[in-house]
Amino acid sequence: MFSLIIAVLRILKLSGFEAGGFVQLFGVLDEMEEMDIDVIQRVQATYVSHNEKFELKKQKYKGQQYSQLYFFRLTLTRKFLNPRVQERWPSYPVTNILGLEEGKVCVVIGTLYKQMKLKPNILDEYSKERSVVGLVAPSNFTDADDYLILEDESGRVKLVGDCVTPSVYVTGVVVAVCGQAGKDGEFHVDEILEPGLAPQPAIPEKKSDGDKYVALVSGLMCGGSDTNPLQVQLLVDHLTGHLGEVQEQSLSAQIVHIVIAGDSVQLQAQALHGQPLSSKEQHKLIEPVKELDLVLTQLASAMPVDIMPGAKDPANFSLPQQPLHKCLFPGATTYSTFVAATNPHQFELDGVMVLGTSGQNIDDLGKYSLADDPLDLMERTLRWRQIAPTAPDTLGCYPFHDRDPFLIEQTSPHIYFCGNQDKFSTRLLRDKSIFTGSKGEAVRLVCIPRFAETGTAVLVSLKTLECQCLTLSTSLLEIQSPDDM
Amino acid sequence: MDAKRLTSRPSVGTNGESKTAVNKQVNHVTSSKRFQASYEGPPPPEIDEEEFDEDVFLEEILGEEPVTDTGVQGIQSRLAQWRRPAPPQYHNAYDNIVFQQLEIDYIIDESSKELLPENKGPAAVLRIFGVTEEGNSVCCHVHGFQPYFYIAALDTMGIDDIPKLRQTLENRMRESGKNSRASVCVTDIKMVQKRSIMYYQKQKTRNFYQIFVALPTMVATCRGILEKGIHIDGIGSRCFLTYESNVLFALRFMIDCGIVGGNWIELPARKWHDRMDMRRLSYCQIEVDTLYSNLISHPAVGRYSKMAPFRILSFDIECAGRKGHFPEPQHDPVIQIANLLTVQGESKPMVRNVMTLKTCAPIVGADVMSFESERDVLLAWRDLVREVDPDVIIGYNICKFDLPYLIERAQALKLSEFPILGRIQRSRVRIRDATFSSRQYGQRDSKEVTIEGRVQFDVLQAVQRDYKLSSYSLNSVSAHFLGEQKEDVHHSIISDLQNGNPETRRRLAVYCLKDAYLPQRLLDKLMYVYNYVEMARVTGVPISFLLARGQSIKVLSQLLRKARQRNLLVPNMKGQLGQETFEGATVLEAKAGFYEKPIATLDFASLYPSIMMAYNLCYCTLVRPDDMKDLQLDPDIYNKTPSGEMFVKQAQEKGILPEILEELLAARKIAKEDLKKATDPLEKAVLDGRQLALKVSANSVYGFTGATIGQLPCLEISSSVTSYGREMIEHTKKLVQERFNISNGYQYEAEVVYGDTDSVMVQFGAPTVEESMNLGREAADYISKTFTKPIKLEFEKVYYPYLLISKKRYAGLLWTKPEKHDKMDTKGIETVRRDNCLLVKNLVTECLNKILIDRDIPGAVQFVKSTIADLLMNRVDLSLLVITKGLTKIEGDYAVKAAHVELAERMRKRDSATAPGVGDRVPYVIIKAAKGAKAYERSEDPIYVLENNIPIDPHYYLENQISKPILRIFEPILKNASRELLHGAHTRSVSISTPSNSGLMKFAKKRLSCFGCKATLSEGDQTLCSHCRGREAELYQRTVSNVRELEQLFNRLWTQCQRCQGSLHLDVLCTSRDCPIFYRRKKAQKDLSEAEVQLERWEF
Repeated sequence: MFSLIIAVLRILKLSGFEAGGFVQLFGVLDEMEEMDIDVIQRVQATYVSHNEKFELKKQKYKGQQYSQLYFFRLTLTRKFLNPRVQERWPSYPVTNILGLEEGKVCVVIGTLYKQMKLKPNILDEYSKERSVVGLVAPSNFTDADDYLILEDESGRVKLVGDCVTPSVYVTGVVVAVCGQAGKDGEFHVDEILEPGLAPQPAIPEKKSDGDKYVALVSGLMCGGSDTNPLQVQLLVDHLTGHLGEVQEQSLSAQIVHIVIAGDSVQLQAQALHGQPLSSKEQHKLIEPVKELDLVLTQLASAMPVDIMPGAKDPANFSLPQQPLHKCLFPGATTYSTFVAATNPHQFELDGVMVLGTSGQNIDDLGKYSLADDPLDLMERTLRWRQIAPTAPDTLGCYPFHDRDPFLIEQTSPHIYFCGNQDKFSTRLLRDKSIFTGSKGEAVRLVCIPRFAETGTAVLVSLKTLECQCLTLSTSLLEIQSPDDM
Repeated sequence: MDAKRLTSRPSVGTNGESKTAVNKQVNHVTSSKRFQASYEGPPPPEIDEEEFDEDVFLEEILGEEPVTDTGVQGIQSRLAQWRRPAPPQYHNAYDNIVFQQLEIDYIIDESSKELLPENKGPAAVLRIFGVTEEGNSVCCHVHGFQPYFYIAALDTMGIDDIPKLRQTLENRMRESGKNSRASVCVTDIKMVQKRSIMYYQKQKTRNFYQIFVALPTMVATCRGILEKGIHIDGIGSRCFLTYESNVLFALRFMIDCGIVGGNWIELPARKWHDRMDMRRLSYCQIEVDTLYSNLISHPAVGRYSKMAPFRILSFDIECAGRKGHFPEPQHDPVIQIANLLTVQGESKPMVRNVMTLKTCAPIVGADVMSFESERDVLLAWRDLVREVDPDVIIGYNICKFDLPYLIERAQALKLSEFPILGRIQRSRVRIRDATFSSRQYGQRDSKEVTIEGRVQFDVLQAVQRDYKLSSYSLNSVSAHFLGEQKEDVHHSIISDLQNGNPETRRRLAVYCLKDAYLPQRLLDKLMYVYNYVEMARVTGVPISFLLARGQSIKVLSQLLRKARQRNLLVPNMKGQLGQETFEGATVLEAKAGFYEKPIATLDFASLYPSIMMAYNLCYCTLVRPDDMKDLQLDPDIYNKTPSGEMFVKQAQEKGILPEILEELLAARKIAKEDLKKATDPLEKAVLDGRQLALKVSANSVYGFTGATIGQLPCLEISSSVTSYGREMIEHTKKLVQERFNISNGYQYEAEVVYGDTDSVMVQFGAPTVEESMNLGREAADYISKTFTKPIKLEFEKVYYPYLLISKKRYAGLLWTKPEKHDKMDTKGIETVRRDNCLLVKNLVTECLNKILIDRDIPGAVQFVKSTIADLLMNRVDLSLLVITKGLTKIEGDYAVKAAHVELAERMRKRDSATAPGVGDRVPYVIIKAAKGAKAYERSEDPIYVLENNIPIDPHYYLENQISKPILRIFEPILKNASRELLHGAHTRSVSISTPSNSGLMKFAKKRLSCFGCKATLSEGDQTLCSHCRGREAELYQRTVSNVRELEQLFNRLWTQCQRCQGSLHLDVLCTSRDCPIFYRRKKAQKDLSEAEVQLERWEF
């Protein structure tokens, strides 16, 4: 209860609330902070960013098309697949689609294209007259009639067979298929081989006994009409160690890094259109960003902060989304601990590889394929070695002509997160059969829930990759351990 | 009463183009051909004025020596697998040969010595091409049928005069010198008892001479001699009216043998003779000789109503044009030919093949044949045609482009062995020039190609004939009927693809294959096979006439068949170029307004055919005023029509036209009933095709009588029909208003708000649809009773609400059941017009939706206003403003300067490679230009406009495009519509984009302006002026939000094009300007790169 009061006071102080009686209270607050002599030192970790491939730098839209991206994806993934194909089907020849011969068993590597009748079509919006208006877009576009087509540089062929499960796959995934061409130009598949997880380096041995945590949070939605600013502030205070007893504070001190995975502000979108804004509207437009800057400033003053753009943030739309512009955060930018990162975001903390997105890739997979939960989808992207296979088909992306940044080329991450999900969930992917190496590799999959809706942030241990959930509410403050830890 | 008098109007013939065939040997003067009579309302008077000239295969087409060629090496075995199944052994003694005939023509050959031992010299031998039930091709040579015609014998002439007549004729024929080959020209003259179809006569029959000639072409010569006048010893100089002298020989044969187009023919055992191998003339599997009297023609009923498994070849060629030129056969090679062979009745094509010049990477599911020389490509195609032996050849625009191109290309390459594509050995495909002219399409020279024994079916011609579309490109036709967009490769890119590598040629081949595939899909989807075969069966003409010739030959064919049964003769009376016109249909004055009570529509079912039947209107029932005295007719036995003509009643003499109509309509009724019962989709397709064909045929009978340049015009009939029609509309109006009023005990006062040719719109006053429907039914029954049968007034539908703009322009929600409206029905409103931009179409459609469905007039007004505001503020997407017109001839030929022609010329100066050529459609937008510039000077290429930021002229669109259609809709609804909609406050602010390439701009120095206040920035500043600093967060958000939207659009548009082209790994090449997203795609790309530049300025 006491800590709650302190939290409220801090908010009031920081928001420049200066009514008579409170000024004194602020004094008490400062005093208390000074009195706290027994300082708990925040633990640190070495941070290396691996975002170069996500940065567009001076790339421009100069009439490139998407075909190059698919081409690179296919060429590179083929490299990963070739040894696996050799191992799995040593006796069958590998051919391209043109080389298919009727009745001869062979292996083909190509990009999948899923034919979907429910897939929204921009042509319909232009050519159909009225029917589109007022229709609620369905949340999932799969249908029992969907089918898969395999395409390589030479052509495409329809895939048939019992093991072909269109609901699992999406357009843009590169696989190897083994089977034979039938009479009608269809390919009868006996087995589908995915690229599989990339090898994973071992996590370096920790010298100290103490654990270190990375905090993951998404969907702060500052300035949103349904967002409770106090809840965000509680989180900030908790992470910065201004809340709780020594036990909590010492846990907070072990948090070496915080990643904010997208959707940090709720913009008043309608205010952006049209003509010059009145000063009132201008205010409305920047208020959420100001609020966020305040939060970030506090966080950055205490620990390294990475902020990733998300679907709702003032950033570009296409993946990889470029860092949020510094001019939006005049306060936080002054701290060297503040980093505006790309989405997807990849970095290393004490040798632990972390990769994640603000959720668009997984959300899009959820629309165009079927899975029990988002963790399954995440697992698939790792097995496909491709974190955003639906880009560019249904997921907006920049038309790269020299690479495919969404490929997991070298190493699988140790921690793979996905922001802005409905609820928190996690799983340790440790299946021997899917790893190409053999040394106890494991990937911690984390779905970060939207904070504004759940009040939940996630802490992941860099030592054990174990995961705990930090749920804050304005009435109760508790640390909760999920069942499946 | 609204009688229209049109002065003249170009005739509508073959697919809307009148045809003047060159190389004729007909004596008729074909100089000034104009269509004098005028029509309004149904039926579509698609009457052509073509000459029915004989189309003879002259002996010279047969190559003297057998052509020595071995074809192309290495493909024979591949082609052989697509051959027809081997035919069973037919034995003359006990096997009947039964086949469905598809094509009938004739050649001049020596008379058959075995079959006709007594005949000598050349004779016409008919050839029937067809397919048996087993799918074997048949060529049947029919001997012994002689061409003939009739003349009326003078009263003084008798059977004794025949030798004299014959001798005189024979001599005159010799003098004309055209017929040296035949030893005897006039082979026989018989005296027959017949009657002319013209005018009612009491006398049943009289003497006619039936004159037989040796060859079909002699009919015309002989007719000319007799019509011009001939001196016969003992009789003197006389002119003779000829009868049935303009009937094509093949049609004459079909009529006399009871054969109708596409029916089944049986050759009974022992009545046919197999052609031995040495004497075979054709490539058909079964080739026999028979006498015409041995043929059994089966009517299309029962087991003979089905289709044989005939073979349809769909093909498309690609040519490598030089830069800036449309391909010309003299210079540009044929580089690919794609083929698709389908067996009628099977859902999947049997062969998918593409032949390419130079190597081509393989294509899944298609057979690729690559050749090193163009000669081999052409010859391989010839071999393919010969091996797969198609009965029908289809394609898109093949008649005007692909086929003539192939033939002429082969000529240019001196490949004399190429054009043997028909079914006759050593016979070359003939090509002849034809000129098409019509006001609609302009004048175009084209080629006509005849392939013996194979029916050509150009899907483009069929679609143009049967459907009104805004564009007839294969792309937009496919989009319209099949719902799929097609990749469109501009012909300037084709050469680049060809000169690339096997992969790029494969790309082209895939495209080419699709172009061969789509016509087949269209054929299936539109059920053309069924509809056209049914049409041929109903009207009795060969299938090939249906596309190549107009409506009138169909009516003529039926008339001749019917007349033959009745022992009547049809005179050869060409229409005179008189000034005669007659009054058209009635259109009751439209009481314009927005009706919010249900409007019931009373329709006359098949009005004109019914009138003709009810009043027995026919050639043979017409009583000439001059004959009136002689005939002494009792007033009871004839009707005087409102236009003053007299026709005897049915009891006296039943008309032939009413009889034809009765049969057509009765057959249609049966077909419709069967259609209801039918369950099998194929059977349904056949029956639906049949009932449609019957309806069209019934309607064209009236048109036939009214075409003054037609085969047998009779304005007395057509003007009587329209006069009855007018009377009935007035009568209906009068009865409705007299009966359905309050004084007669009805609850409401009925009012006729509008009436068109065959329908009357009544507001009964009842507020609900159901009540109005009941009243409508009651009125229809009540009024029908007052008409002579079979004229019948039907109640079918209610409009509610109903927006009546003026005559022939209305819109309303259509109800046929009281629960829910069926659809929105519009007539004469700019929802489909092709020369309007999309903005107008969308605006009109949306307004009608708001007014009629939502019943939200203020909403509609608001929508118009906001659209106009968007237009003026330059917020409208450019693709909505594109206007498209076809370039039909080169600039000099246009009398008036037209926007699209001027633009095409300007584009040619800019870059001749991509400029539109004749035949292309030219899209343009109207741009802002100097004051006083004419509209045609302000047209500009939309792409050029996009690239250079040229401002469009919103006022042009407002005044010339939007204003009229919108005012038409709103005037019945709003007071001061013009002031309210077009001149309100929403029109005050205007924004014009700055051109980036105007002359003045070249001198301007570009300075950045502040994102916040647009003030010019000083040198050092990148983004904001000193006053706006501090607003970064806000202004950045706005810049980035613009980028977001564009990225989203960019992604969706370009991935859609990838899906459409069916490949992820290849760049999109499509330049289909008909595609709704073509300009948007281009614009998104450009806008995005501009927006990125803006965003970049933030990276300080």
